[in-house]
Amino acid sequence: MRLLLVEDDQSLNRALVAQLGEAGYKVDTALDGREGLYLAKEYAIDLAIVDLGLPGVSGLDLIRTLRTDGKDYPILVLTARDRWQDKVAALKLGADDYVVKPFHVEELLARVDALLRRAGGWAQSELVCGPVALDTRSQVVAVNGQPLELTTFEYRLLEYLMVHAGEVLSKAQITEALYDQDFERDSNVIEVFIGRLRRKLDPEGKFQPIETLRGRGYRMALERGAPAPQA
Amino acid sequence: MPIVRSLRARVVLWVSVALTLLLAVTIVGLDTAFRGSTDRAVAELLQAQLLGLIALAEETSEGNLTLRDENLNPQFSLTDSGIYGTVWDADGVPTWRSASLLDSDLAVQRWPAPGEQYHVRLAPHSGLPELEMLVMGVTWEFAEGYVLPYTFGVAVSMEPYATRQAAFRRNLTGWFVGVTVTLVLVLAGLLRFVLRPLRRLESEVREVEVGERSRLSTELPTELVGLAGNLNTLIDTERRRLTRYRHTLDDLAHSLKTPLAALRTLLAETRSGGAPGQGEAFARELDRMDQRVSYQLRRARAGGATGFGVEPLPIEPIVHDLVTTLDKVYRDKGVSCELEIAPRAVFRGDAGDLSEILGNLLDNAYKYCKRSVLVTVATTADGVDIRVGDDGPGISAAITARLFERGARADESVPGQGIGLAVVRETVELYHGALTVGRSALGGAEIGVSLGRAGA
Repeated sequence: MRLLLVEDDQSLNRALVAQLGEAGYKVDTALDGREGLYLAKEYAIDLAIVDLGLPGVSGLDLIRTLRTDGKDYPILVLTARDRWQDKVAALKLGADDYVVKPFHVEELLARVDALLRRAGGWAQSELVCGPVALDTRSQVVAVNGQPLELTTFEYRLLEYLMVHAGEVLSKAQITEALYDQDFERDSNVIEVFIGRLRRKLDPEGKFQPIETLRGRGYRMALERGAPAPQA
Repeated sequence: MPIVRSLRARVVLWVSVALTLLLAVTIVGLDTAFRGSTDRAVAELLQAQLLGLIALAEETSEGNLTLRDENLNPQFSLTDSGIYGTVWDADGVPTWRSASLLDSDLAVQRWPAPGEQYHVRLAPHSGLPELEMLVMGVTWEFAEGYVLPYTFGVAVSMEPYATRQAAFRRNLTGWFVGVTVTLVLVLAGLLRFVLRPLRRLESEVREVEVGERSRLSTELPTELVGLAGNLNTLIDTERRRLTRYRHTLDDLAHSLKTPLAALRTLLAETRSGGAPGQGEAFARELDRMDQRVSYQLRRARAGGATGFGVEPLPIEPIVHDLVTTLDKVYRDKGVSCELEIAPRAVFRGDAGDLSEILGNLLDNAYKYCKRSVLVTVATTADGVDIRVGDDGPGISAAITARLFERGARADESVPGQGIGLAVVRETVELYHGALTVGRSALGGAEIGVSLGRAGA
């Protein structure tokens, strides 16, 4: 998942990038509104975290411009101005949620997580596709109720696929969303990880969770929701 | 503190006193003048009648003086005519008495010397009214050559004069009372007219106080335009000061909170590396700092009954915006929020304050409800009654008790609903309103807020 953080306070910006990175997000960051607007328009991001009190272009203007330009990814507002009038103004312009400073990092991560799930069409924190269940809060994955050990990268890949269950995701999209650096990655890496994930999720090859569409990418093939209990 | 506070009452009082004094002096003066002229008229009448008697006196064959009625003013002969006369000889024996005297006598205390005359007032006696008498000593030279002293006396009744004087006084007093009352009434009316702009100015100031108007009108008499202008300047200055004060607080909030957020995030990052428990202690202190800063700033920012209110504020759009916002924030929960808002419900106060009150109440309701929230806003005699209810678990007795504890500071310890409600309570108190905690028809908590007018 690729996030954009627009926050002008350097310490907070740095600390948030670290925390979000640790939570498995790829984060692009800007220290003022102008730079933020540029990144928000140029990159394929999944969610923007925007501070309202920004130099250059204000947070509210940034949100308004993005929505006018048709960008529909979730926007989470960070604000020190905790008056209801300010919150109402931000959400009216098109933001989706707000976190009032000073916040707990856990709170921010939970909101980001919820907004991303919602954007992918999930209402709960537990994503279930057939026998595979992934809890975005605890980051625990289980297959048929049995917990599964995944590396951080494997988990991020699976979460990305499951949030977008049913959608075709190109290798480039997946690389963009999961890697911190912008340089060209060997696309084989994604193939390798997909292979590993398949073996871990479905060692016996019974339910084929990840579908390969030649030349187009990958898709979480399992239906959303738990399978009908077998009689 | 002066006893009479109203300008109008003062003017009317002093004019009444002055007019009464003037009336008294005038009545005494006119009465004296009237009595003087009466006295002169009586004196002239007596003089003329006396000289008439002397001129008509005749000698009798017995060598005495007498008068014959047929020659006299007929009033001397009529009973109760009010004119009486007598002629006494040297021994004080009447030689002639007018027929009008009947059985009574005129009494003389002192016999005048020949040629001397004097007036005397006789008290009513033996059937005669009060009389004014003129007495004169006369030396009569008889045709036979001897000379004898006589005393002539003429008296008139004072009764008709006294009656006229009394009538005059009654008339005079009546007229003056009439004139005074008319003048005072005219004056009161005039003052009412003259002071009307002042009263309007006063009521406008009151309207500004309760927020029904934002400035004083300047369509006033020239003498008051300056005053209204000065008051408007004062109001504007006060408003600007208030705005600046709030902005300062906002900026302070901003400048404090971002570093707090940074500290907290940095702490989360380094917690794993520090000594066990140290990170948690840090985090606790940060939480307390944050709670206090937020609480105090929100509290200080509330405008409340500043005495310089703004236009009446429709409540419905504000509730609407908040509900839209919260529907978005709590989208996963799928809360159904029902609104029953009186169409013309308005709040007389600061829009920010109303947003804080409603925002906190609604946020709590959304947070703690199972599925449903109900907002009712009704207009009351002196303001509005706002109720926000939900179908959640309700508010614990401990939080309710703490909320209404006098001087309780919710920033100290109560988590969750506590802070929001404490801010609501304090904001409501600024408007002299009331906060109630009860049970909603939906099954959960219902918070009621009744708001009057600012400064009411």
